[in-house]
Amino acid sequence: MKELRRNMRFVGAVLVVLFVGLAGWFAMTVFTQGTIWASDVRNTRLSASNSLRGDITDRDGNLLAHTDEDGTRQYHANTAARLALSQTVGDTAGMSGTGIETFYSATLLDISTSLLDRLSELFNSARHVGSSVQITVDGPLQTYIAGEFPAGYRGAVCVINYKTGEILAMVSLPAYDPNALTGRAEAEVEDTAYLNRCLQGLYTPGSVFKIITLASALSNDPNVTGQNFSCSGEWQYEGGHIVCAGGTAHGTLDLKHAFKRSCNVTFGKLAYQLGLERLRATAERFGFNENFKFGDFVVYNSAFPESVSNMNGLVWAGIGQGEVLVTPLHMAMISGAIANNGTMMKPWLIKRIANSLGATASTGAPQAYRQVLSESAASVIAGYMYETVQSGTATRAAVKGYTVCGKTGSAEVSDDKTVETNAWFTGFVYDEAHPYAISVVIEGGGAGARMPSELASKALKKTIEYVG
Amino acid sequence: MKKALMRSNTHLLLSAVMLFQALAMLLIAFQKEAVNPQALALAIALPLVTWLVTTLMGRVWPVDRAILIMVLFLCSVGIITLSDIAKSDITPRTQALYALVGLAAMFVGAAFIRRFRHWKKFTPALMALCLLALLAPWAPGIGGWYQGARNWVHLGPLSAQPSEFVKPLMILCLASGFSNRPRFARCVPTIAFAAACCGILLTERDLGAVLLYFLTTVFMYYVATSNAFITLSGLGMGAAAAVIAYQALPYVQDRVAIWQNPWIDPEKTGYQLIQALIAIGSGGTFGMGLGLGRPRNIPLYHSDFIFAAISEEFGLIFAIGLLAVYVMIIMRGLIVAYNARTSYHSLASFGLVVMLGLQTMLIVGGNTKLLPLSGVTLPLVCYGGSSLLSTFFSMGLLLGMSSMNAEDEARDIEQLELQEEML
Repeated sequence: MKELRRNMRFVGAVLVVLFVGLAGWFAMTVFTQGTIWASDVRNTRLSASNSLRGDITDRDGNLLAHTDEDGTRQYHANTAARLALSQTVGDTAGMSGTGIETFYSATLLDISTSLLDRLSELFNSARHVGSSVQITVDGPLQTYIAGEFPAGYRGAVCVINYKTGEILAMVSLPAYDPNALTGRAEAEVEDTAYLNRCLQGLYTPGSVFKIITLASALSNDPNVTGQNFSCSGEWQYEGGHIVCAGGTAHGTLDLKHAFKRSCNVTFGKLAYQLGLERLRATAERFGFNENFKFGDFVVYNSAFPESVSNMNGLVWAGIGQGEVLVTPLHMAMISGAIANNGTMMKPWLIKRIANSLGATASTGAPQAYRQVLSESAASVIAGYMYETVQSGTATRAAVKGYTVCGKTGSAEVSDDKTVETNAWFTGFVYDEAHPYAISVVIEGGGAGARMPSELASKALKKTIEYVG
Repeated sequence: MKKALMRSNTHLLLSAVMLFQALAMLLIAFQKEAVNPQALALAIALPLVTWLVTTLMGRVWPVDRAILIMVLFLCSVGIITLSDIAKSDITPRTQALYALVGLAAMFVGAAFIRRFRHWKKFTPALMALCLLALLAPWAPGIGGWYQGARNWVHLGPLSAQPSEFVKPLMILCLASGFSNRPRFARCVPTIAFAAACCGILLTERDLGAVLLYFLTTVFMYYVATSNAFITLSGLGMGAAAAVIAYQALPYVQDRVAIWQNPWIDPEKTGYQLIQALIAIGSGGTFGMGLGLGRPRNIPLYHSDFIFAAISEEFGLIFAIGLLAVYVMIIMRGLIVAYNARTSYHSLASFGLVVMLGLQTMLIVGGNTKLLPLSGVTLPLVCYGGSSLLSTFFSMGLLLGMSSMNAEDEARDIEQLELQEEML
């Protein structure tokens, strides 16, 4: 009996400890997550509550979302603008999981769980108004880019300021009308329209990835710029082969020419020369395989293969095919890092949060993410990208009067070329006063040299015009 | 025997509980423009019944009144919450009727354990009864699949969940099998019985009950034999079984996936849990206030998620207070186990208390996203006749044993005094 009692005392103590742990966990989650849970867009209590959502404005203070006196949520009056900004702003139905309406629901509603606030609200007939959120996006710019996007195509355009990290535009098509969700407009909405492709679209980069392969080569062997490669339009190696676009034989050429003409054979050989470890180290330095946590929004993680089964995998990874995946935002960040002397800036979206009285609660600020590349290597790559726009594959991306650098890509998305390639462009304006980087993806858009380059040219021109 | 020796002062506790019951029900009764007559009736009935039962049971046997009052409190919290949030008045009325039957079951339980002297002799028959009852849902005609499980029997207008009723009986069997510090070989039949129970429940997909039966058996075995090796092997086997179950049953995988991130599919599979979390978050520290919340948005707000509903209405502090009441019942129950004169009674009261505690933790953890939801009931609070009756019966057993302890102690003291006088 003595032992029985001792054991029971022990188990009893364990039970009590478990209960205390349970209560502690419960209290902790309510304190840390409670407001977030309560602000979930699926919380139907909110529509009946006294709380009005705060405004969402763009960088110049243009209203993107506003709540009327009677409690209805109004989005931009212009249909084109409303659609262009749909995934960025989000909707009260929570269909766009990354939109400000969903992601900043707690801030916009500003629900307080404190007893005093609740009591004062009970006796106060005025409706509680949440905080307002100002984003770094330029509304007219984003609307313009969405309008210029080739009709009938899907894809994304992301424009950032590479010196500050501000996101200036995040176009994702197809888009949807947030008014349709509340029954105020009739519209068919495709399922993927709710995705913000800039953040949630993981694309095969294709040739735009050559920036990384080049960066890896420059970091590991500064003399590689003098090395000559030979291209016969095709390269047979053990376990596979690689061809240049259209089977063009580029002959003997150095890295600069291989880059501006986007020679697959050269970059395949370069990747093989580097080996997977070194290539992967550079890619990871640039943020591949990293769990991005930027705070202002959710972005999917870009991927570079951890291992490859044979040489084929390595060669194809070197030209951004195979298991390499990247988001348009990340691609713009990569271009931006090249332009910014090798320093990648942390992207941000929230310019300012102000309470209902207009007092600033918090403001966004530039923050360096990481030095991803040496300054000298960055300037070499920038030079190559300049050449690409001057006389390479991206001539259509030029903007008159400005130094535009860039790289095109045509990413294979099928093994047998039955599907048209995804067309890419990424680049930047090399200018202290206009530090803008861009990435463009057009799904099934064919060659990167055509539509995306043209769109990037227009978009960068307007960015300079609108943002300054 | 001196009555005074056997009675603890519980007037304050009783008064507080009665006041709570009356005020809460009055609040509900006068909340809307039309007075709710049923709530008004309950505002009188709940404290009255609480007082009557406490006094009556306390007069008949020297039971631990603190346990009794706390049990009645928990049950009334269930009826109050249901009166407030249920869509129709029928739900709280039914629950109140179940509670009345449950009170009778509690008296039966107490009387039964006080009379039950030849437990060794009856254990095989009791085991057979348990197994038969657990198998009943497989009988054609009276059992059937419902929401992915087959753990109900339907007899005419009545439905019951055998796994609930078997709980206290199974604990009595285990206590008998494990009493008097047996060696492992002598425990084998009892362990085989527990394994058979778990096996049957597994075929019926009543996974919450399987977990509960298993853990209770392990804990009881450990305290009875102090055999850490066998206990740990048992736990290891249980963990292995859980892994196999996870691999083999897509249903289990779904539950775990929902628990890990309900926001992946917020409109379908994750809906319940998200709505529960929203309710808890909306309640915050002090709650929305009785009748001011909208916990009806949670599916199963009256059964699986009643804890979330209570959290919304009454707030975090009250919900933690509710957990504290369970802890106090457990601690008073452990004192009963500690003072019992035979290892059988000691183990039986221990088993009852442990099962109560584990069950509470499983469902509260499930409601608050600490554990995957396992579909057990919140004892005494959650809507449902089988669970309520079975728990009241269990608590009756516990109370009966507490009264036996009190009598034994009083007898000891009397004898001691007698000896002193003689000296």
